[in-house]
Amino acid sequence: MTSLQSTLGDEPGIAEELAQSQREISIAEFFEKNKHMLGFDSGARGLVTAVKEAVDNALDATEEAGILPDIYVEITEVGDYYRLIIEDNGPGITKEQVPKVFGKLLYGSRFHKREQSRGQQGIGISAAVLYSQLTSGKPAKITSRPKGSQDAEYVELIIDTDTNEPEIKVARETSWDRPHGTRIELEMEANMRARGQLRDYIKHTAVVNPHARLELREPGLETPMKFERATDQLPAETTEIRPHPHGVELGTLIKMLEATESYSISGFLQEEFTRVGAKTSDKILDAFRDRHFGRELSWTTPATHTADIEGAVTEAVSNKGADATEAFASEIASVLSNRERTSHFELVEIVDRVAETVEKDTGRTFGDTVRENAVEAAWDELTAYSEEATNGEEPARDHLTPNIYTLVDSATSTRKDDAAIQGFSDRLARRLAADGGRQFRFTHKSLTKIIADVAAATKEYDEVKFGETAQENIFEAVWKTTRTVPDDVPKVRSVAGDRDTASQLVDAMRETDILSPPTDCLSPISAELVEAGLRKEYNADFYSAATRDAEVHGGDPFIIEAGIAYGGDLKAEGSVDLLRFANRVPLVYQRGACASTDVVKRIGWRNYGLDQPGGSGMPNGPAVIMIHVASTNVPFTSESKDALANIPAIEDEIELAIREAARELKSYLNKRRSMEKRREKQDVLGRILPEMADKVAEVTGRERPNIEGAMARIMNNVSVDREVDGETVTLSVENYSGRSETPEITDILSAEPTDLNGDATVVDMDGEWFLQWSPTVGSGDEVSITYTVAEGTDFEMNVDGIDGEKLTVNA
Amino acid sequence: MSSESQSQTQTPEEKAREQLIDLAAEFYDQFAGGDIPEMKLPTRTKSNIEYNPNSGVWVYGDRTSTRSANSVRGARKLLKAVYTIEFLANQLEEDRSSTLRELYYLSESWDNNEAHFSDQDESNQLVEDLEIVSKVTREDFHMRPEESGATLMGPLKIKEQTRRGEREIHCQEDVGEGGYQIPNNPDTIEFLDHDTDFVMCVETGGMRDRLIENGFDEQYNCLVVHLKGQPARATRRITKRLHDELDLPVMVFCDGDPWSYRIYGSVAYGSIKSAHLSEYLATPQARYVGIQPEDIVEYDLPTDPLADSDVNALESELSDPRFQTDYWEEQIELQLEIGKKAEQQALAARGLDFVTDTYLPERLDAMGVI
Repeated sequence: MTSLQSTLGDEPGIAEELAQSQREISIAEFFEKNKHMLGFDSGARGLVTAVKEAVDNALDATEEAGILPDIYVEITEVGDYYRLIIEDNGPGITKEQVPKVFGKLLYGSRFHKREQSRGQQGIGISAAVLYSQLTSGKPAKITSRPKGSQDAEYVELIIDTDTNEPEIKVARETSWDRPHGTRIELEMEANMRARGQLRDYIKHTAVVNPHARLELREPGLETPMKFERATDQLPAETTEIRPHPHGVELGTLIKMLEATESYSISGFLQEEFTRVGAKTSDKILDAFRDRHFGRELSWTTPATHTADIEGAVTEAVSNKGADATEAFASEIASVLSNRERTSHFELVEIVDRVAETVEKDTGRTFGDTVRENAVEAAWDELTAYSEEATNGEEPARDHLTPNIYTLVDSATSTRKDDAAIQGFSDRLARRLAADGGRQFRFTHKSLTKIIADVAAATKEYDEVKFGETAQENIFEAVWKTTRTVPDDVPKVRSVAGDRDTASQLVDAMRETDILSPPTDCLSPISAELVEAGLRKEYNADFYSAATRDAEVHGGDPFIIEAGIAYGGDLKAEGSVDLLRFANRVPLVYQRGACASTDVVKRIGWRNYGLDQPGGSGMPNGPAVIMIHVASTNVPFTSESKDALANIPAIEDEIELAIREAARELKSYLNKRRSMEKRREKQDVLGRILPEMADKVAEVTGRERPNIEGAMARIMNNVSVDREVDGETVTLSVENYSGRSETPEITDILSAEPTDLNGDATVVDMDGEWFLQWSPTVGSGDEVSITYTVAEGTDFEMNVDGIDGEKLTVNA
Repeated sequence: MSSESQSQTQTPEEKAREQLIDLAAEFYDQFAGGDIPEMKLPTRTKSNIEYNPNSGVWVYGDRTSTRSANSVRGARKLLKAVYTIEFLANQLEEDRSSTLRELYYLSESWDNNEAHFSDQDESNQLVEDLEIVSKVTREDFHMRPEESGATLMGPLKIKEQTRRGEREIHCQEDVGEGGYQIPNNPDTIEFLDHDTDFVMCVETGGMRDRLIENGFDEQYNCLVVHLKGQPARATRRITKRLHDELDLPVMVFCDGDPWSYRIYGSVAYGSIKSAHLSEYLATPQARYVGIQPEDIVEYDLPTDPLADSDVNALESELSDPRFQTDYWEEQIELQLEIGKKAEQQALAARGLDFVTDTYLPERLDAMGVI
């Protein structure tokens, strides 16, 4: 480095030479070189990203307009390029806006809003336009028909990469069969290697947007993939919220300070932030004062034999007459002696108060100068200090050291010897007197530093160590005696102009306890619709879902939802599928880098009945796990918005949501396993026992025994039997299970039953008689009914209300 | 339990057969009564054997386990039991016999796959179960173990009822060096005459051959019974009969390790597995000659250190009700203390004749047998 500099110095013309090649870079140019940052790093991925951006925009636009989305995506091969068409039934875009929306990077409606939406930066769709123009040289073709408009507008445009401005090639009116909506057509160099991701993206979008109708056509599909609506209910509309004080960074705050119309900080806080009212604003201001001005140390009032406050004040007052002066001085002395501790500004207030009282009583005026003199005189008594006090035999007037000694002594452990504490207190008093000014003002930081310095000095001179804990304890004891000063805080303009002051305000805002932001800016899918979405797209045996309550991270509220589908047609081999969503947008790439993946991997899935090799990592089995993060500001690992960043608060909520859904899975799997066991038992016993009965009959030379009763008892079964004796029919229910059961029995007869003896009803249905009987049978009990019916009657029995595995019908 | 049944008219075979069919009939009645078929058996573990002061042997206690068709496992067991009952009943009817191993293979020919035995332990255990519930011994089912092979040698004359007629045999004069082979059902033997002072049961073949070679049986009028490790039922049964019918003292001579004490235990007190037959097989008066841990010390025998499994076995014996006597507690604790074990053949360290000339005479003298 040094050698390079010396060479540079030798050639005086170099800087000028370099300057010639330095010029402004347009955002579009920047993108051209950094396509990967936005998800356009390859032809395969570019196509998926373009579809994703267009579909996300379409969904946002339709929802905002309260329209149920109907989105059509088509990809066709055109020579060497792919043509991408995306159509929606959104509210359309006005003629004036079309070029800006599609032809200008960083143009959008959402960047400044605190509201849950899919897109945010206004980069996505214009980046797709740019990518298409860079790879194919073709303009983007946009058709848009605003709602209520007769005709549609057709525009062909490209982006001027030097200026980041749209350049319109063609613009004309056209007719379009959609009553309203937008259609964009892009041609780009691409390939279909990411076909899987593309289809997943569309399918997963359908899962989390059960209110949307989606259709995808691409060259690899024989018939289009169509995803119908599962609900007509649009997601709840979200409200925009102001920023929360905990989530604001310094740069943003300065910008807000510069832009605000408020004059005072208090007004600014209440106006620009959510959850800040007068009370919270006062709290923030006090914290701000502590940082900006420091806090004032307060001191105990010395005993009258060591300090003569009354005398000092009397001396400081002149020309007020003996009575008034005496009343004034003695009142100040008596107020102070009744106080435990007093700081400088408190003394000023006391003197003012006393002066006013005495003025009223005596008619004498105590002006500002007199009051100031009185304050100075009294303060000199309260905080008298002389360095010699430490050595002299006759102690000079020093009230600070004893004050500090008491504090230090109370804060340090009894093991420290008195000389050390005395030495520490001497040094601390000296530093406080020297550094604090007359008012003894210290910030948290400056006081901490002083105590650390004093500890270091004590170690050096007295060879006694005051460790970190001791220092903290002393700090706490001293800090407790400090008071927030009543000084007026700087106005908005001066805070905006001073980075340090603004930083103090940010700290004060962060430190103050403030209510969590409201959550109506979020629109979770709801557990019910998560389940419906999974149900719609996955043919499984079991579904569960959970929606957590809103939490806050960095001033942005968020809600986590999780869903699980299990069994059915889901593939049983390999690890489960993990579907990740942020604000209803599927995350397709970088699964391994995503916080949600980490959370899934660290859950012990064996507890929930899923196979997990080694007890950690992705579980195996026929399951789909879905995670949705809804937030006003989803923290991604990069601009391409593929993976959630590892934020502990969010990870915790993800884990809780998954566990909530997984608990249901567990009980389902447990039940299924016990049912499987029962079925297996029934299969085996149903085979073995009759064979055993046959063998027993053979060995004993008797008839085959009736084993139904034993069977029912073994299976913990409920058995329903019919016994026909001539015209009399007896229906009986025997319950061998461990709890009471209520079978719903329907006996369908071809003739009318009579003499019904029991709690059943009979309905005539076109020549068939439906006998309905629903007895509650306790564990181990048997109940029966009888009726009379013509001989030769046909019977058909249906039993509901009892699991098939537990039921034996003999009728 | 023995072949001398109370019934005069029935042969043992008929009685055994009837007992088996009664068992099947019990299952039948359970089925017909709407109950789940089940079979109750004493729990066959160490904790469920107890001393019967009347007979002086250890028998099963009151704890029972139930084999019930209520579970898949239980149902399979009962199905196999019924098939085995049928097989045994037929075997008795035809007056045939078979080995335990044959039963295991035979199950393969049964028409029902569920009734096939999965291993021989299972079939052996089932036969033992049937012995217990039917109160008929395996021998009376005409079931025999694969090989017994144990022998005896000494001044004893017997008459054996074989399938090929009666044979009279003198167990010293009519046999080769291998001795007289004990039949599977020793109850077919009748003792005719003897010139025996005591019975010496020997664990290992090597020591048994040493005693014969040195003429110990002739010199001391001793009947040498070869135990062949853990003794077969027939060996234990004939030992008991020799004691009960001929009033001979029974001595047991084994290695000096925990496994050998168990051999002694099963001769004297009965085994855990066949505690239901203890009264028929065990000889509570049998006495342990050696090798005692005490002998290891006294004769300074060559030893091996106790392995962990030996220590565990010794400790488990301390809690075994069969070994809870002062003598055994003292010996086992001594062995744990010295941490050593010795084989019978370790006596050869003092010469081949040491065991017959010195050790056994000294021990038997001390025990008051000679």
